[in-house]
Amino acid sequence: MSVNPAFEAARPAPQAVLGGRSLRFREWLEREAVFSWIMLTPPLLFLVAFLGYPFLYGVYLGFVNRQVAQASIFVGLGNFDKLWNDPIFWQAVWNTFKFTGAATVLKLAGGLGMALVMHQNFRLKGVTRAVLLLPFIVPTVLSTVAWQWIFDPGMGLINRVLVFSGLVTQGPSWLGNPTLAMVSVILVNTWRGLPFFGITILAGLQTIPTELMETATIDGAGSWGRFRYVTLPLLMPVIFIVTTFSIIFTFFDFQLVYVLTGGGPANATHLMATYAYSISMGGGQLGLGSAAALAMVPVLGIVLLLMSSYVRRA
Amino acid sequence: MVGELTWNRRLLGLWLPLTALIVFALFPFAWMAATSLKANAELYDPKSNPLWVQHPSLVHYIGLIRESNFLLWIVNTMLVALVATLLSLVLGVMLAYPLARMRFPASGLLAISVAVAYLVPQTLLFVPMADLINRMKLGDSLSAVMLTYPTLLVPFSAWLLIGYFKTVPKELEEAALIDGASRWRAMTRVILPLCTPGFLSAGIFAFTLSQNEFLYALLFLNTSTIRTVPVGITGELIRGDAFYWGQLMAAAFLGSLPVVLIYSFFVKYYVAGLTAGSVKG
Amino acid sequence: MVRTRPEESTSRRDFLKVAAVGAAGATVGAGWRPRKAGAKPAQITFLRESSYVKEFDEHFTKVLIPAYQKETGIKLNYEIVAAGGSVVPRLVSIVESKAPVDAAWVQQEWLYREALLDVSDIAEEIGKQQGGWYPEIKNLSVWEGKWKSVPFGNIGQTMVYRRDWFDQAGFTSFPDTWEQFLEAGTKLKKAGHPFGMSMGHGYADNNSWLLPLLWSHGGEVVAKDGKTIHLDSNETARAVDYARKLYKDACLDDCVGWLDIHNNKAFLTSQISCTNNAASILISAKRDLPDMGKVIDHALNPKGAKGRFHSLVPVTHGVFKHTPDPEAAKHFLRWLMDAKQVANWYRSAQMYHAPFLHAYDKDPEWDKEPRFRADLKVLETGRLVNWPAPADHKAGEVVSKWVVIDMFAKACTGAPTKQVIAEAVTALRQIYG
Repeated sequence: MSVNPAFEAARPAPQAVLGGRSLRFREWLEREAVFSWIMLTPPLLFLVAFLGYPFLYGVYLGFVNRQVAQASIFVGLGNFDKLWNDPIFWQAVWNTFKFTGAATVLKLAGGLGMALVMHQNFRLKGVTRAVLLLPFIVPTVLSTVAWQWIFDPGMGLINRVLVFSGLVTQGPSWLGNPTLAMVSVILVNTWRGLPFFGITILAGLQTIPTELMETATIDGAGSWGRFRYVTLPLLMPVIFIVTTFSIIFTFFDFQLVYVLTGGGPANATHLMATYAYSISMGGGQLGLGSAAALAMVPVLGIVLLLMSSYVRRA
Repeated sequence: MVGELTWNRRLLGLWLPLTALIVFALFPFAWMAATSLKANAELYDPKSNPLWVQHPSLVHYIGLIRESNFLLWIVNTMLVALVATLLSLVLGVMLAYPLARMRFPASGLLAISVAVAYLVPQTLLFVPMADLINRMKLGDSLSAVMLTYPTLLVPFSAWLLIGYFKTVPKELEEAALIDGASRWRAMTRVILPLCTPGFLSAGIFAFTLSQNEFLYALLFLNTSTIRTVPVGITGELIRGDAFYWGQLMAAAFLGSLPVVLIYSFFVKYYVAGLTAGSVKG
Repeated sequence: MVRTRPEESTSRRDFLKVAAVGAAGATVGAGWRPRKAGAKPAQITFLRESSYVKEFDEHFTKVLIPAYQKETGIKLNYEIVAAGGSVVPRLVSIVESKAPVDAAWVQQEWLYREALLDVSDIAEEIGKQQGGWYPEIKNLSVWEGKWKSVPFGNIGQTMVYRRDWFDQAGFTSFPDTWEQFLEAGTKLKKAGHPFGMSMGHGYADNNSWLLPLLWSHGGEVVAKDGKTIHLDSNETARAVDYARKLYKDACLDDCVGWLDIHNNKAFLTSQISCTNNAASILISAKRDLPDMGKVIDHALNPKGAKGRFHSLVPVTHGVFKHTPDPEAAKHFLRWLMDAKQVANWYRSAQMYHAPFLHAYDKDPEWDKEPRFRADLKVLETGRLVNWPAPADHKAGEVVSKWVVIDMFAKACTGAPTKQVIAEAVTALRQIYG
């Protein structure tokens, strides 16, 4: 994929206008603010049209009582009040935090490990890198179908291995036990997202100058010391970025859970995203569903604010 | 440094964790590969080995290609992903460049808006989005998703590119301006080429998300011949509560093949690009 | 296009005002043209969930589409959507955005009846032509005195079991009561062949045995008036206790989390000896595992103190009000349901959609696979999932929040009966309150 076509396509009118060359006009164009706004206008128009309008419409829906194919009735904060008193919603909130928290920590730890391993020199490194990205590439709907089998109580790979190795006589019920069902969806999310962490942190590792490492070694730092006092601090910005990203994606993830457990058993894996979706789609309550989706925005915003302030202090 | 690495350390520090990683990342694929090559009778046989094929057969691959529009879906998917990615990159550059390198009023506010746009859940958007798409008479056409995917991707690309653009020293641009280049020329000839890895990394990430997307594709792509892989496959192969397991897995394999090829070609740029900017910035 | 929902258009205008204030309203203008009304449509789009009997969809595309095109000159598009949660979102978005789809299998029509055309003329005519409708389906299709959809058939949910293993355990006929069912399951589980009764967040296989279990014990969720919550009763408690015992003594642990696909998988891999499912297991087995195909049988749900019940998985077809040419779309539906067309469509899939029309009660096609006859019997004792409450959107919410299913599932994973019923009642109050 060459980058050039993108640039060609991106070239807006100014160049042609420049050909007309009134000197004053040219100077005007060269002003930072003017140039900036000429550049900014097309993407902003696009975002306002395709994101702004649906977003405002969605926000509007959050404040009305709106059944599919029926008229809207303005209810103010009524939808939020309803959710506040809805035990399933609170369960979904709690589940979402567990899911996002656990999956992010696992992906972070695993991704850091993956990056440290992949940072070394070995044969077929390039191929290994590409292959390790596979979980991230395969469409989620299809890989989750495979996980249905991997978690199968009798036929599944996991339980087969457990039984074969003699650890147990009968494997556990991965999707039937409420706790294990949550473990299972976290596991699949980790599996799918880990390569993204790994490859991103690896990129960060590669930008750390080797001289720093050598200086540290001369100063007598062991490999742990080098990691703790040289590598990790330098990696912090990357780690922050990739974690932020992952929190957003994990927080909104509903496809995986939807296909694997539908939020069951008994809501043990229902997330805010799956619950909002099933209120809107299953129950046809677009207003309440939008409110539930909207409730995710400030929650997520607070989490991210806390994170960024923590990182800034550190 | 290399000299002090004993074989033992190499084993503990590299080969063991590497093996563990590969097993963890790939064991589902081993299962998928085996299943795509198994006749259903063998798949259902409780005594069969989940990772071994007794009687390999290509019947699912043949069935997939003959009985469905699979090849067409792959073409559609690649086309959609390519256009959506290019569009996102172009718009992302136009958004990111001024925010990263220019001073102008309201820039702070704009940067925050871009970040907020990123926090909007798809579950909130899809009913209004369907309304918008139909008002624009774009329903049931590939352009519907080509235009909606960038709404998920532009904030991401812009945000990533901002970090990247910031790493290029301001002096480079100033030097070009002093030499008489216009701002446009300075951008296209000096700054952007330096950021090629950044485009690649944002591009490949956007590409992956586009070819993976399900909800908008489900709502906007209705005729079988214009569907993408995820929607086409599930529509044809998840029939009520009867799944065509073998064909589903064959599709997962064949469907990711083109992307893996692209990745293995670009992965070194990808790695160099994804965060280099943000680290320094 | 006939606008019969003035209030709806007003609200949209109101919204646009709001949006304009938010500076976004101006941007949607491009390409915003009203549809031409009255012109003869060049095409009609019909949407359905993909069928687990491939031949059924193929019959439509290979026989019905060309026939209709030849007869009317109108192009017919057949859009198929995956099962398991894809269809309803698609339908909701069609209704909300007035997408160019004219007719559909209107799954969960209670959510959006207001967007469906009155098709009483078609339903009455087809009923008269083909022996009359089974009464229960009218509770779904007829709303405020008008037919909002034309019933097609019921996807029969019955007990699917391994006759060979039941024989070995000494049960030569399928258990007739829930007590005998538990007894058989206990014995079979001990023999290594447990039952697998779905109780997860699926769409059919959970309701299809848990609701009949509740009803046959005398319990009901909401009264006939559609307001009074009746769930909290001794009858419900007995049904919950029974389910817990059945789960512990007779079932595979995993089944408490199962979606509709899981019991098919478990049955076909010989992990369970009985489940409640549609005909798909038998059909898959006959194709892929001929030996198992011979020893699978179908049976009616066991009966309880209040009799025998089944829950329907009804298939109905409706026409959207926003179709540009309502007469053309209705003409298509009438044509489709005419005996000349529909009879062979039913037969193309071995009657797995048991017709709600009495004319097919004695259809010779039933003799080809006698095991499907159970599906025909389901029509007699089958009730809609909302029974006895009216099939309105509140009932739809109860189903989509899995209120009743989760009551049983929680009991099976250890919560006391009183608590699970109370929690279910709280959820019902949220919906009906």
